[in-house]
Amino acid sequence: MKKERIARWIVIILVLTAIGVPLGSWWLSRAQGTQIEIHARMPENGGWSIDTIQAKVGQPIHLRLTSDDVVHGFALGKSDMESWLSIFPGEYVETTLVFEHPGKYIFYCTRWCGLNHWRMHGEIIVTGEGDPIPGDSLPLFLQYNIDIDAPHYAENIPSSPPSVERGSRFSDRLPNYAIDKQTYFLTSPEGLWLKLRSEPSLSDLSDMDIWDIVRWIWDRQNSSNSQSLGFKLFMALASAAHGESGRGDGVMARGLPVMDHSNMGSGLVRPPDFTDPHVLLSASPAILEGKIIRGGMGTGMPSWGSILSRDQIHSIIDYLYTIAWESIK
Amino acid sequence: MPMESLPYKTTPTNWKRWAWVIPYAGLALLILFIPLPLPFHAPQDRLLRIEASSFQFTPGEIQINPGDRVTIELVSTDVVHGFSLDAYGFELKADPGQTATGTFIADQAGVFRFRCSVACGNLHPFMIGKLQIGPNLLFFRGIALGLLAISAALISVRNVSRGTT
Repeated sequence: MKKERIARWIVIILVLTAIGVPLGSWWLSRAQGTQIEIHARMPENGGWSIDTIQAKVGQPIHLRLTSDDVVHGFALGKSDMESWLSIFPGEYVETTLVFEHPGKYIFYCTRWCGLNHWRMHGEIIVTGEGDPIPGDSLPLFLQYNIDIDAPHYAENIPSSPPSVERGSRFSDRLPNYAIDKQTYFLTSPEGLWLKLRSEPSLSDLSDMDIWDIVRWIWDRQNSSNSQSLGFKLFMALASAAHGESGRGDGVMARGLPVMDHSNMGSGLVRPPDFTDPHVLLSASPAILEGKIIRGGMGTGMPSWGSILSRDQIHSIIDYLYTIAWESIK
Repeated sequence: MPMESLPYKTTPTNWKRWAWVIPYAGLALLILFIPLPLPFHAPQDRLLRIEASSFQFTPGEIQINPGDRVTIELVSTDVVHGFSLDAYGFELKADPGQTATGTFIADQAGVFRFRCSVACGNLHPFMIGKLQIGPNLLFFRGIALGLLAISAALISVRNVSRGTT
């Protein structure tokens, strides 16, 4: 009789542990806040294992990230490059996110993980009390109703490399609009050159002098900090398609036909050659901003508007112009 | 039953028949260890552009001379790949669109494998290339040794057939 009692007790204790262990671990993990384990895979194999995360304002979510195949990256849309994480196969990387504003946040992969890398993004939906996420201003091309798809190819380019120093000598002779931020955003270098060329007060200057002025104005509007940030962003996000030199020959765009307005819409084409000064000197910062925000153009370029902050996009534009200026021979 | 009374009969080993083995063994040692006169190539700077894609290196076989100063440009065409060279402790990692560059001096001769050092998918363990520094002496010594072994086999076969007839 005593033995049977012991046996019954053993069974009861086993059943209780079997229920208690998972319950207890659930209770403990609940006390620590939400922990989410996300597996990153190439988009062909499913992308993020979880691509929609629910969160509450002010409540931290702990992410445990790992990769099942190749090196991936993790970043929140519009976040600084310093906060980007790398996810190596077989290793875990952890991060804790706290959101102040309710709304929809994007997360995306920052390391090229194949042709469909750009498809790899997900969203975090944050609910709760608070002001909504501060939005970006309307893109310039929408504010000023600019057609960013109009073909552009400069007819006038400098015959030799323009110089900032030489351009700065004429700074006191310039009309007011020339050094205005608004003019800079809405005018292409070629457009500004044509405008200044037709100024009667500058008629004694040579064509090259005017180019020096335009170069000086462009340099004035861009800080070197912004250019180096733009360079880093370009290398990390764009060079696999646009090429390291900006020639449009990146490893992902190889073998695609060269962009030509006759083959628009008949499959993907290559990105344009930024080292051809005709291309960028005829584009205003507003056009470039619009193209980066929206993407497309028949090249399979992703839409960066929700991924990069407006400042990051402007840094990239600043860097792009340095490619154009430096490729003038 | 005492062992001595077992009915058996053996021919005593004829060690003289195996005398030819001694020069052969000497020859084999010679083949293995003799220092060969190597053609001398003045060391030069080499720039090797290696493209890494899933799951191969292009070019996958490279031949250079000992003493060369080698600069490797690793270009990845799809995902993050690595390049690690056996015996040299030389390592590179490249993201697509961001060429990784590194330099080393090929001061050890021989044949070395280079491998992808960043997990890049199912066939990642088989992403291997070959770097040959100088002539592949081991290969030639191996061939010579093989030929020697064949001739030794022929001789022993001849001896055996002589012995039985």
